Amino acid sequence: MENSQTMTVEEKKAEPAKFLTGAQAIMQCLVENNVKTIFGYPGGAIMPTYDALYDYQDRIKHILVRHEQGAGHAAQGFARMTGRAGVAMVTSGPGATNLMTPIADALLDSTPMVCLVGQVKANLLGTDAFQECDIIGMSMPVTKWNYQITDPNEIPEAMAKAFYIAESGRPGPVLLDITRTAQADLMTIPFEYKPCTEIVSYRPRLTPKQEQVEAAAKLINSAQKPYIFAGHGIIIANAQQEFDDFVRKTDIPVATTLLGMSALPSDHPNYIGWLGMHGNYGANVLTDEADLIIAIGMRFDDRVTGDLSKFIKQAKVVHIDIDPAEINKNVFADAPVIGDAKQVLKALLPLVKERKHETWKAEFKKYDEAEFEKITKRDVFHDGDKIRMGEAVTMLSNKTKGEAVTVTDVGQHQMVTNRYYQYNTWNSLVTSGGAGTMGFALPAAFGAKVGAPDREVIAIIGDGGFQMTLQELGTIAQSGLPVKIIILNNNFLGMVRQWQQLFFEKRYSFVELQNPDFITIAKGFGIAGHTVSDRANLSDSLDILLASDKPYLLEIVCEKEENVFPMVPAGASVSAIRLE
Amino acid sequence: MTTYTLSVFTTNTIGLLNRITIIFTRRRLNIESLNVCETERKGVSRFTIVIRHESREAVEKLVRQIRKVVDVLAVFGYLDHEIVFNEIALFKLATPLGGSPLNIKEINLDWNAKVVHWGLDYVVIEKNGTETEIAEFYQYMKNWEILEYLKSGRVAVGKTEKGLVEYLPEHEWEIV
Repeated sequence: MENSQTMTVEEKKAEPAKFLTGAQAIMQCLVENNVKTIFGYPGGAIMPTYDALYDYQDRIKHILVRHEQGAGHAAQGFARMTGRAGVAMVTSGPGATNLMTPIADALLDSTPMVCLVGQVKANLLGTDAFQECDIIGMSMPVTKWNYQITDPNEIPEAMAKAFYIAESGRPGPVLLDITRTAQADLMTIPFEYKPCTEIVSYRPRLTPKQEQVEAAAKLINSAQKPYIFAGHGIIIANAQQEFDDFVRKTDIPVATTLLGMSALPSDHPNYIGWLGMHGNYGANVLTDEADLIIAIGMRFDDRVTGDLSKFIKQAKVVHIDIDPAEINKNVFADAPVIGDAKQVLKALLPLVKERKHETWKAEFKKYDEAEFEKITKRDVFHDGDKIRMGEAVTMLSNKTKGEAVTVTDVGQHQMVTNRYYQYNTWNSLVTSGGAGTMGFALPAAFGAKVGAPDREVIAIIGDGGFQMTLQELGTIAQSGLPVKIIILNNNFLGMVRQWQQLFFEKRYSFVELQNPDFITIAKGFGIAGHTVSDRANLSDSLDILLASDKPYLLEIVCEKEENVFPMVPAGASVSAIRLE
Repeated sequence: MTTYTLSVFTTNTIGLLNRITIIFTRRRLNIESLNVCETERKGVSRFTIVIRHESREAVEKLVRQIRKVVDVLAVFGYLDHEIVFNEIALFKLATPLGGSPLNIKEINLDWNAKVVHWGLDYVVIEKNGTETEIAEFYQYMKNWEILEYLKSGRVAVGKTEKGLVEYLPEHEWEIV
């Protein structure tokens, strides 16, 4: 070891057990971290690591995507199913910039992700070298942490930190920018991997302070019309049992956010729907009636609150979140509780009284009836010729008994899926919530299937979003994994068209698509599929899709100009929710 | 508009300055002054950032966003009366032959400034003080030809008995 600096490469190679290359160290770190699958795309600056991967194929399964964005979204889908960081590995320059969208998406949706990005040789940094890009600078605003490695000896510690930071506290994406030098050079110290368990400048609080819990319990116990906003944090914290116990004991009505969906089964007596722009009528309107909001693992996004100056002004707020920066960010919290949702709910349970809120819960029912009459009837139980998105999703929900994982893209089909799919299984919705990334669903569904191979994973995508990442059909075909794909095709960028109709005097500006033959495209990739446009054949078509033990694409041709309601117009108060 | 001084303690990492300043940029906040230096703890840097803002609430939110950065150890926001603070200004004055002479005694005693460098036909004068004191001194300096003027960002310590050691326990941080 003392001679390591002066040894020639040949001499070092002669004792491989003692020294690893940086690339081998990266592989070894993945193995030690129990990473079984990574998603990636090779290229110049990451080649030493791909070379090392060649020898690790028995321990690490690498999935070759068709575009780096696909690697990122697949890693996200994987992470959302497993709770572990999804790993995406790409090359420098354009490889890395193509990963930016998934990284930004993962930050907004608190998804753990470790991005291993190649970088030009250390001596070329800052010279505008081929495929050089300042990815540390570019990714800074959208990563939880990033770090550039120029010395192979730094790899074990940096990798350990990356996984710890990505997965702990409020999860998020982490990027390691690894120079070719750091990958190719030999370490000069023996490889040793120590998992990171603490960073002095980063100590997420998991267990809440007792006084905060007591203050929250006091408000909960004295409230007459308490109302729970259940967010993604409950699912991330894996607090299924604790949340169920809490709701059962307090009998408080629960609405979820978009990403909180499936935190409570939709047939649960306390589940009253979802919040926000296209959420349920009662769930939105009755935010004005509640005297206490208990927000758990949610961040009062503008799509939930509408006009903040009119949102829950009459209510006190208990805000439970692991991220202190969320407290008082958008809505003032009378009783903030910083901590992991699981720990907080556990601590709250013995302090809250057993209550019954029958009358208060019944108020939501009245709104449900109005919503059913005005919207659900038209969407699902209509007598038109054309298939409506709502009926397709309802039928899918019934056929899968609400047990499938739905992975949605962004737009009308996303809102319709959330509205009509009756989630009865924990952690069953993967969608791009905060970022609203079109093109998310296809690669994310693939990643979700890799993460949860025993679950039925169904991607539901619009015709617009599908064309943003459809090359990942190739990845799916090559893997052979039975990802089920539904395109709800209305030949429009439907959500934008809806806004143009409602708020821009029907001036349809570049929203109509001339679509390709999706089934021929799928066939070109080796994926079977068919189109259904006749209502009478919808049920059989869904059966074929679900029965397939291979990937399958079902294109459902829908009513062209269907609108998604309810709808809170952007910037309006949630009580201004429109039913038509 | 109220002046706020933020003291940000961080581990000494490349790129951290960028990671902190983009938090301001994104919220369209103008940084009035910024100073970065090492501290009495090894590996710990101290950022002193001065901003002006109408809303204390917004500044508190900003503080929480900065605290969220993984490599940030602690952040404190102060009003002017809660801190002892100073800046350094340097004035390069032309002193040509036949020009009006400098009154060194006045500069030293009345203005609490000093000449730190004598050139052939110029001098460099250093003045320590608050922004207001420096601004007043600037007015006085205009009696001569100012060739160059610049000042540092604010440095500040809180008026509490607490030291860095109380939030960065000693066993983890070697004293320099």
